[in-house]
Amino acid sequence: MEDYHKPDQQTLQELRNIANRLRINSIRATTAAGSGHPTSCCSVAEIMSVLFFHTMKYKAQDPRNPNNDRFVLSKGHAAPVLYAAWAEADYLKETDLLNLRKIDSILEGHPVPRQEFVDVATGSLGQGLGAACGMAYTGKYFDKASYRVYCLLGDGELSEGSVWEAMAFASHYQLDNLVAILDINRLGQSDPAPLQHHVEKYQKRCKAFGWNTIVLDGHSVEELCKAFGQARQQPTAIIAKTFKGKGIAVAEDKLGWHGKPLTKELAEPVLKELQSQLLSKSKRLYPSLPVDDAPNVNIRNIRMPSPPSYKPGEKMATRKAYGFALAKLGRASDRVIALDGDTKNSTFSEMFKNEYPDRYIECYIAEQNMVSVAIGCATRDRTVAFVSSFAAFFSRAFDQIRMAAISESNINLVGSHCGVSIGEDGPSQMALEDLAMFRSVPTATVFYPSDGVSTEKAVELAANTKGVCFIRTSRPENTVIYNNNEDFQVGQAKVVHQSKDDHVTVIGAGVTLHEALAAAEHLKKEKINIRVIDPFTIKPLDVKLIIDSAKATKGRIVTVEDHYYEGGIGEAVASAVASEPGIVVHRLAVSHVPRSGKAAELLQMFGIDKEAIVQAVKKAISSSANGK
Amino acid sequence: MATRKAYGFALAKLGRASDRVIALDGDTKNSTFSEMFKNEYPDRYIECYIAEQNMVSVAIGCATRDRTVAFVSSFAAFFSRAFDQIRMAAISESNINLVGSHCGVSIGEDGPSQMALEDLAMFRSVPTATVFYPSDGVSTEKAVELAANTKGVCFIRTSRPENTVIYNNNEDFQVGQAKVVHQSKDDHVTVIGAGVTLHEALAAAEHLKKEKINIRVIDPFTIKPLDVKLIIDSAKATKGRIVTVEDHYYEGGIGEAVASAVASEPGIVVHRLAVSHVPRSGKAAELLQMFGIDKEAIVQAVKKAISSSANGK
Repeated sequence: MEDYHKPDQQTLQELRNIANRLRINSIRATTAAGSGHPTSCCSVAEIMSVLFFHTMKYKAQDPRNPNNDRFVLSKGHAAPVLYAAWAEADYLKETDLLNLRKIDSILEGHPVPRQEFVDVATGSLGQGLGAACGMAYTGKYFDKASYRVYCLLGDGELSEGSVWEAMAFASHYQLDNLVAILDINRLGQSDPAPLQHHVEKYQKRCKAFGWNTIVLDGHSVEELCKAFGQARQQPTAIIAKTFKGKGIAVAEDKLGWHGKPLTKELAEPVLKELQSQLLSKSKRLYPSLPVDDAPNVNIRNIRMPSPPSYKPGEKMATRKAYGFALAKLGRASDRVIALDGDTKNSTFSEMFKNEYPDRYIECYIAEQNMVSVAIGCATRDRTVAFVSSFAAFFSRAFDQIRMAAISESNINLVGSHCGVSIGEDGPSQMALEDLAMFRSVPTATVFYPSDGVSTEKAVELAANTKGVCFIRTSRPENTVIYNNNEDFQVGQAKVVHQSKDDHVTVIGAGVTLHEALAAAEHLKKEKINIRVIDPFTIKPLDVKLIIDSAKATKGRIVTVEDHYYEGGIGEAVASAVASEPGIVVHRLAVSHVPRSGKAAELLQMFGIDKEAIVQAVKKAISSSANGK
Repeated sequence: MATRKAYGFALAKLGRASDRVIALDGDTKNSTFSEMFKNEYPDRYIECYIAEQNMVSVAIGCATRDRTVAFVSSFAAFFSRAFDQIRMAAISESNINLVGSHCGVSIGEDGPSQMALEDLAMFRSVPTATVFYPSDGVSTEKAVELAANTKGVCFIRTSRPENTVIYNNNEDFQVGQAKVVHQSKDDHVTVIGAGVTLHEALAAAEHLKKEKINIRVIDPFTIKPLDVKLIIDSAKATKGRIVTVEDHYYEGGIGEAVASAVASEPGIVVHRLAVSHVPRSGKAAELLQMFGIDKEAIVQAVKKAISSSANGK
């Protein structure tokens, strides 16, 4: 930690100049775009100036360098000031700033990782600090490197619970390499923020959460320089009192200006005024270079050290198979890390923790933050993160997962206790909409392995598949049905039961695949043959195999899933075959909120057990014009 | 009239009907237009600030024991922040009404963080939910009234762009009842759109008419429940050809709802237009075009549906 040397007057004046240039460019860009948030940019101009040209250590021409200090703009709508800072650092061309929000410019309305200087997309508020925690945790405990992490938040977003989850996490794990700057500009979008300019109340809250706190004038470059230069043993919150629209006389500290660009007419005198405040610069400021002590890391092609070693016919719950598989993957690479939300003894991530306690992060019951931390850990490819909880509780983090896709994140999420088959705990613990949720995520791969072997393969594939990967695991013990040397690929389904003359294609997964196999045995006695398919991945779906199978079974498909009707396997299959005439799909799923009971009773009550499949197959045959 | 603004007018109007109608918003009231209710009934408006999880939970609490009729608004995308609370709302048999604005790429320059492209998937997966997707001012007002009187979790999806009012003020709307908004005696393809894409479909209908191709355009009004009977009847009247077009991702939205609804009927083919990957900033019209859900894309899809159909025109 460096000692604080008070910067000389020339430096301070240049920092003020830079701040005003950032204001000028934020206003110019949003006026040219006809939209954007200039007043939100103006309140943080000095903060950005000091961070980018005095405090942070980074290579301006190599924004993604793993040794660089990290910066997260949690208040993502201030994107124009971020772009202006990178133009000031000569990474972007100043003229490009005027292309803000245009369809052919990388300078989008909110930060996205197609910009090299952005690690995580922001714009949905309250998520930046969690990601910053992940980066800081990685820097301190995995990379053991000198880089620091800075996160700039607005005061409106301090109402988000996710911010306080992150605050608790950071102090619990003593992330002393993390600095949060709170831009207390008093005004939210449609009203003042609840605590307005009561910086002392924010200070009390941050202190209560275990942080170092410094309250200062957010428009004083001198105070900012001093605050950033201080050493600490805990994360630090800089509580900066600022004014929204600072520098724009007509808008400064006034409601009604959030998200409003200045018209050309209004902008002209404002820009003139700001320009007149620029004093002749005598000192060019360059960011300091970082310390080169982050280790080289390669997370490509992580392979299990050995094939699965299950006995055929062995009973193994896929949630437990996940535990074994993750611990095994941990042997393959020391960059594999695991996170869990106080469910490690249910998801079996504790098996990884027992073997690699230094690579396990307990996130406690705070799923939003857990997902954000994982996203942060995975930035710049520093780690391969596996996050586990009950699948139902990932719905708590859907906005974070949605933003993970926009962030081009490669996190892996593993949700256990899917469906009614968990039994007596009842619907609050049952995931019945998780397939719908994860399927709707644009970069997602959705694995739904049905036995121990395929679960282990899913874990290995997920580690090597870009985008958000989701693995759905089950609580009941089911038979191992694959050989240990069976090859699995994303988008490749398996035919697990067939004959030379099959009458109906039945597609199931997890518990319902096993119900379908039981139904196949039963139907065989009645001389009805079904072809049973295990999709393995629900997204992408093996459309070709499914259509071929349907065509071989007179166009008849029955799907059966431990999930609601909407957005799951049935809808995925129905829409995949929708453009093929002559294929009919009958869907079995859970039709309404379930209840407590034994797993087998619930499967029967909700019509997704062996008996329901038998009936559906018979109905598919009888309603088909082609007969048997 | 943008449907987001029609919501503002409608909610204030409903507020006159009962003093138990209350509104909640998460510091977006000037964007969702819930501020129109607040201006008239400040004592019945609860500002929840930027904390959507809590806002939904508070509404659930307000609605218990039938003490109030709660309308909760924010950008539709930010209801994903409260999906667990919404999931539990169904298990709680709650009757809250959620109104999400700024759906789809049609919001334009703000970009994907502000665009709801998975909200139909989310709300459709909620077991007690009714999902309204009104396409003009009149139907938005009707949706608000219906939601207030419909049990379960009601979701109304509103849009940012201004679109033409297409219904008469006395048009009757019911949950699960679609409307045929454009038809002729000899239609070749059924096109189903909603919100901005319904208007794109109507524009496509005009364009195709000049090429002597007639399409039947359907406004589903509620995506859940879907008017399956009307859709199947229409498909049968248009040689089994359906094209769906939505400002939403492919998964879990209108296309999948329609495809699964007709999946047990042989002979009906569904071609789906939707947003295929994470979008970006840009003008609304540019984005509709870039992501293949505008008038031109619908025209092409209709022609393809005809040519790929074994039955010809």
